[in-house]
Amino acid sequence: MMKVNELMSALNLKLLTPNVSLTGEIKGGYASDLLSNVMGQAQPKMVWVTMQGHQNVAAVASLIGLAAVIVAGGAPVGEDTLAKAELNEVVIFSTSMPAFEVVGKIYSLGV
Amino acid sequence: MQQVVADFHIHTLLSPCAEVEMTPHHIVMRAAEFGIGAISITDHNGSANISAALKAGERYGVKVFPGMEVECVEEAHILALFDTLEQSRQWQQLVDKKMSGLKNNAEKLGAQFVVDDDDNFLWEEERMLAAPTKMTAKEVVEQVEALGGITIAAHIDRPSNSIIGQLGFIEPDFGFVAAEISRAGWNRNLQSKLQRLAGFLPYVTDSDAHNIYDFIEGPKNILQVEELSIAEIKLALQHKGGRSIKPGHFLDVDLR
Repeated sequence: MMKVNELMSALNLKLLTPNVSLTGEIKGGYASDLLSNVMGQAQPKMVWVTMQGHQNVAAVASLIGLAAVIVAGGAPVGEDTLAKAELNEVVIFSTSMPAFEVVGKIYSLGV
Repeated sequence: MQQVVADFHIHTLLSPCAEVEMTPHHIVMRAAEFGIGAISITDHNGSANISAALKAGERYGVKVFPGMEVECVEEAHILALFDTLEQSRQWQQLVDKKMSGLKNNAEKLGAQFVVDDDDNFLWEEERMLAAPTKMTAKEVVEQVEALGGITIAAHIDRPSNSIIGQLGFIEPDFGFVAAEISRAGWNRNLQSKLQRLAGFLPYVTDSDAHNIYDFIEGPKNILQVEELSIAEIKLALQHKGGRSIKPGHFLDVDLR
């Protein structure tokens, strides 16, 4: 099973939460910008691709137990989001790649 | 203490999705006719019809709160309400700097008209108003408050364009003074189900009207206050000093 740090290198993602462990395993993924929808649909250990950078992103990821969050399309991520992520041991990456490409690459890696 | 029927979420013909019958004068005239004592004009990211609504409001004895339905960068709708035209103008200046930069497509989305208090056409807004601004929800809440206004999380029961839909839940200390439930949500009794996700905020129910029929038929609030001001609305939402607000009020009329 792919680990978070392996995904980071494979997609050349920028790590925004340097104090959080990257050894978690990834089991599937989910893409949505509606946090209410993510709360209902995403499963533990998934990697979540979104354009939202609000601090609730960290809360939702923590609540579900997601492996990592990838904020795509170069969307800004708030400082309060990152503080909350570090506090709750949520990994957040950013990338300038559009969400479609990010998801395509993750999918082709066999996740 | 006075008791009035209040509706804090009404669109004029400045909103592309509203009917042209929604002139400020017409809305105020109908409010007076049906005993709606306080209204707020809340167009998408725009306020150009507020001054006409205030003038009409004075003529008809209807209290008009300058407002706006702001769309934040997270694509959620937030109602901003103010006491004065000056505050509303200052807020508009901040919003203008954070607009999407897109042009409206009047043919596909609907035209955005600005009129005077006697229904005369003044000009057409060409920027796309019904689009997300570049302000975060937090910035909207904080900056409206800094100008002396209040913010309400709009139609939180809707799956999209609501704070709960876009962001999952509302932190209790986020800064909203209330959460609005739409007519459909109220009828389905979603207010109790959403209480925890809404950070236990007090509720309001508004028509969110885009035509006169929905304005009259839509939900309102019974507001009990010393005077019609933003400060008093805040007290009413907290049920302080004998003030109160009761959502889920419908006018006893049959338009059919």
